[in-house]
Amino acid sequence: MAFLYPFRVAVRSILHEKWINLLSILTIAAGILFTAITVLCLYNGDVATKKLPEKFSMMLYLKDNLSQEDLENIMNTTKKDEAVKAVKYIPKDKALEELKSTVKDTEYILDGLDENPLPDSIEVKLKDEAVGPETAKKLTSDLMKINGINEIEYGEKFLASIYSLIVGMKSIGIIFVVIMSAGMIFVCYSTVKILFYRKNREIETYKLLGATRGFIRAPFIIEGAVIGFCGGLLSLGGILSLYYIVIFRLSQTIPLFNAIVFPINISLFLPLAGLLIGITGAAIAIGRIRY
Amino acid sequence: MIHFQEVSKHYNNQTALRKITFSVEKGDLVFITGQSGSGKTTLLKLIYLAEKPDEGNISIAGWEIEKLKESDIPVLRRNIGVVFQDFRLLNNRSVFENVALALRIRGVNDKELKIRVFESLKIVNLRHRADSYIDELSGGEQQRVAIARAIVSEPTIILADEPTGNVDPDTSTGIIRTLNDINARGVTILIATHNRELFRHSGRRVLRLDHGDLTGEEIG
Repeated sequence: MAFLYPFRVAVRSILHEKWINLLSILTIAAGILFTAITVLCLYNGDVATKKLPEKFSMMLYLKDNLSQEDLENIMNTTKKDEAVKAVKYIPKDKALEELKSTVKDTEYILDGLDENPLPDSIEVKLKDEAVGPETAKKLTSDLMKINGINEIEYGEKFLASIYSLIVGMKSIGIIFVVIMSAGMIFVCYSTVKILFYRKNREIETYKLLGATRGFIRAPFIIEGAVIGFCGGLLSLGGILSLYYIVIFRLSQTIPLFNAIVFPINISLFLPLAGLLIGITGAAIAIGRIRY
Repeated sequence: MIHFQEVSKHYNNQTALRKITFSVEKGDLVFITGQSGSGKTTLLKLIYLAEKPDEGNISIAGWEIEKLKESDIPVLRRNIGVVFQDFRLLNNRSVFENVALALRIRGVNDKELKIRVFESLKIVNLRHRADSYIDELSGGEQQRVAIARAIVSEPTIILADEPTGNVDPDTSTGIIRTLNDINARGVTILIATHNRELFRHSGRRVLRLDHGDLTGEEIG
């Protein structure tokens, strides 16, 4: 079967140059493993960020002795804003009850109070996709123009810090993944290039005998693909070991590790990623064959 | 089949071939002779497109060389069987694999490939050495492997560059007899040699080269 010939040549070359190929496989495996761990961290950061909007709310503290008409005006104007999902009026008595239930064990702190010091307030929940420092800042600026609102609080600095941290981590993560991918392609490129130079005379003979570019290229592309695929397989083994030996065991004793999300199905694509990296590196290494 | 019209080739201001004009018709067996450095190998290289002419026109099997696209080069080369002066055999492969390579390049299936390779090895008396590696063979045996590889694909043209350069007189006679037999099947053959004994009394056309000039033509 003629189409099997490039595979036979590739296998023979892989076995003949086993040390250089093994070194490339291990390098690619380490690269993919580190990249996968980075992506796993980014993914977990993203999951944590998605939970943030559920807990986020803005508090509108109202002036004392507000008329019913002013209150309704504030409620309606706030609801109309496209970033707002829900508004809830909290009278100062209820706020005090909530405060008391929160400080249940140290209720004596509130014993000295003759009257309720808390103002009436409105809790504003934003739509999930709208939660962010810019939207909260703009909404605050718009709502402060309404008569009857004394103060708006939403943990401005905390929100801005969290979002800066997430954006920063994502940027660093993406840069890391790009650099690692380029590095792995370069490893595969170098390996195939060395093999290509070593077989220079053989390739010249192929050309003189009338071999097509595809015939010459195929064994090298297969060799690159095998190197990349094996690297991907090893990294899959590494990441599964990391999960089952480290994260899974630790999560049984340390609750923090329970929060780590491990998308096991996606990790099965690692060998495929290795395959693509291998093929790309090999294709660049061979370049254009000239007659 | 092969037409050279005022063809010149230079290497670093040195003239390898100067305004060469000749034709070889289909089914001819032609010897090219001359001393070392007379331009025999360059002439063959121009035919199998390892070199391009600096001047003049070349036509091979109906293909105009100057109009040839790069992608056409392997197609044309598959019509030509070459016995290279340095053999160009792959030392890390067996005799069988070296001869089979010419057929693998052409996509011949394994069954037919096996039959044809053994036929070719039989022609050059090397069937018993099919599993040997190239560096286990003598110079003469390596030369015969190169001939087997050139004929196995049944090309329309065979170019042989000093095909008897490393063999004893008996083997040399055998190789020429083999090339004559192949020529009898209608294959066009060009043999470059400095050994006059090969074409003496052969009754074949002989082109004589001297320092890049085609100085004469005779019947051997």
